[in-house]
Amino acid sequence: MSQDQPTPLSDLHPGDAATVFQVIATGKIRQRLLEMGFIRGAALRVEKLAPLGDPMELVIKGYHLSLRREEGQCILVTKEV
Amino acid sequence: MLTLALAGNPNCGKTTIFNGLTGSRHHVGNWPGVTVERRSGFFDGEDGPVEVVDLPGTYSLSAQSEDERIAAQFVADPSVDLIVNVLDASNLERNLYLTTQLLELRRPMVFVLNMMDDAEKNGLKIDLPALAKLLGAPVIPTIGNREEGLQALREAILQVAKGGTPTRPPVSAVNYGPDLEGQLAKIQKEISRDEELAQAHPPRWLAVQLLEHSGTSAAVVESSHARKAIQAQVKESLAFLEPHLGADGPTLVAERRYGFAHGLVEEVLQRSDRLHWDITGRLDAVLTNRWLGIPIFTGIMILVYALTFILGKVPQDWIASGFNLLHTWAGNRLPPGELTSLLVDGIIPGVGAVVVFVPIIMILMGCIAFLEDTGYMARAAFIMDRLMHLMGLHGKSFIPLIMGTGCNVPAVQATRTIESREDRFITILVAPLMSCSARLQIYIVIAGTFFRPVQAAFAIIAMHILGFALAMLMGKLLRLTLFRGENAPFVMELPPYRLPVLKSTLVHMWEKGSVFLSRAGTTILAGATLVWFVSHYPGIANQSWSAELHKQEAAVRTLHLPAPEEAEQLDALELAHQSRVVNNSLAARFGKVLQPALAPILDPTHSRPEAWKDSIALTAGFVAKEIVVSTMAVVNQAKVGDRDGNPDASALQETLAKRSGLTPLTALAFMVFTLIYTPCLGTVGMIYKETASLGWTTFSVVYGLGLAWLMAWFTVLGGHALGFS
Repeated sequence: MSQDQPTPLSDLHPGDAATVFQVIATGKIRQRLLEMGFIRGAALRVEKLAPLGDPMELVIKGYHLSLRREEGQCILVTKEV
Repeated sequence: MLTLALAGNPNCGKTTIFNGLTGSRHHVGNWPGVTVERRSGFFDGEDGPVEVVDLPGTYSLSAQSEDERIAAQFVADPSVDLIVNVLDASNLERNLYLTTQLLELRRPMVFVLNMMDDAEKNGLKIDLPALAKLLGAPVIPTIGNREEGLQALREAILQVAKGGTPTRPPVSAVNYGPDLEGQLAKIQKEISRDEELAQAHPPRWLAVQLLEHSGTSAAVVESSHARKAIQAQVKESLAFLEPHLGADGPTLVAERRYGFAHGLVEEVLQRSDRLHWDITGRLDAVLTNRWLGIPIFTGIMILVYALTFILGKVPQDWIASGFNLLHTWAGNRLPPGELTSLLVDGIIPGVGAVVVFVPIIMILMGCIAFLEDTGYMARAAFIMDRLMHLMGLHGKSFIPLIMGTGCNVPAVQATRTIESREDRFITILVAPLMSCSARLQIYIVIAGTFFRPVQAAFAIIAMHILGFALAMLMGKLLRLTLFRGENAPFVMELPPYRLPVLKSTLVHMWEKGSVFLSRAGTTILAGATLVWFVSHYPGIANQSWSAELHKQEAAVRTLHLPAPEEAEQLDALELAHQSRVVNNSLAARFGKVLQPALAPILDPTHSRPEAWKDSIALTAGFVAKEIVVSTMAVVNQAKVGDRDGNPDASALQETLAKRSGLTPLTALAFMVFTLIYTPCLGTVGMIYKETASLGWTTFSVVYGLGLAWLMAWFTVLGGHALGFS
């Protein structure tokens, strides 16, 4: 079950699970995100935020990855409920 | 000779495999034109040596970064006979993404499934024969850090090289689906019209890359005579595909590649439901904990700092006293003259100034390699990134900056861990602003001379804060101006924690130390010789001055004074002679010319006719900041030590107070200037090595000087405004 309305990944909280809807970044960041596994339908889970609140740690394709908030804003996901 | 390229993701254990394959027979250099390390080595095959080239670890070959561009160019290079793709068995799907690109090159390949033990611990079972069949090449399981499977790997490599094993999948590696395949065929057809191009680059590989908007492939096509037709076809294909499939080229290609990787993993991987012991998760619960993360990180930093600069100081002191002994010995044994001075005052201290850095470089680089290999380095960047990002820097910039307070030389070298060129260059340019321990020695003498004790302590602390504040400011400024462009993505893997291999750490330490000596060392030595020249010529060649000195010395000896008294008088004569040489040197002449420029900061009231002497000390400080103090002693004819060479700060301070003419305010300006201007030759040499650019090295020297002048001037202006003189 997933909500219909896509939200930016940066709005998710630790423990939230979601699937990637679309990467709206452009240029280098877009390419890098795609290569790291942010493709349509990929499942991910937010692990935690860094002690200072940014960046965030998440699990995608079975490995751990960290992203800055501003990069998370460029990834639209549909949150699992 | 057989040449093989070792390709793989970061953190897949590629370097361990490389070290295992080649043993100690390897060489570290740079890839042409960039500062990405190029490791190559050999092992013995049946028909002679086999060259192994370790590519930079990359997630992809789409040439978004320097590392990827190098890897992409090299794997496609005709000189490569075989590609060995190292895969992390415990993280197969993401690792196979790179594989999909490598397969498109249609070259002989061997796959290495590394970290098999981790995979087993995680309850993963991989069907090796099935994987080998699907990939169309041998798959060798290894445990790199235990050197398991390396012999089998060597054998597989040799066999594939001989053509003994079928190495190509019968069908194209990734099937991009009917729509994309149709368009790829059209692009390939256009590419094939240029035979030369098609020979040098597999058309399919090039076609896929063009759909992905890869920069290097676009450049390759640009030089082809068929470029117009190819570019037109790519444009047409994208115009057809994008609306039809609802995504752009890069997305479509990435999706199909991951689809292939996912399908492959589903076929060969069995996950057991048995709960496994998640060490990484448990460690991260503590190490990147919201409350504990920063205190633990601070503790680790203190430990690294102590190991480097307290433990490292022991061998450093041995080296320094060794060179001092050599200096004294050579000074006493060799006949006085220009050549002796070059050796005794130029080369010996110059070489000493290089070698003295080796222990701290090796220790700090060892610590960093250790943290990197355990996986903690990525966590350190994760923890500090928020703060560093505020200054326009990367989380990984924090460690170089902090280590800069010990010594700028290894700090600049430590920027190697920062992947993005922009982040790395900004960090290199601001790291020298961190006040190092050599500068502390100057503050202690100057502040101790011109301030009351409590004020002196405040002034010294203020210097360190000023350095850090300027580093933040300049970081932000450089990011907004010279390094504006697109922000490099932070997107960083947090690899599983692993036990590092001692051998890898030691190899790494050895490499860093020897590369510093061979590459930065020569720059430093040349600079030291140049500074010796400008601060000794033409006086040192003045025969009548040295004749005068000998006459005076002979006169003292005829007095038959008691030994200590005679020695003291001889020393005074020698000092006066040195002072005469230095105060009439090219550096002094230069200083006199420059005096108007330095006057606003060092002589604002025009009451110091001898302010030009400061510039000699500052010139000498180019070699190493600690030399500023000893040069101030020479130009002011102050004794700095007793007969045994033990420093005597109070005598120097007394002379400085009496003769230098500095006021507390100009002394403070002098300290500010010393903090900011060109760090030292060691750092400049390292900056040159790490940027591989004369332009950026010059820039760092020039902007340092400019900023130093400006800040010292502000100090004087501010002091005046507050009523100090």
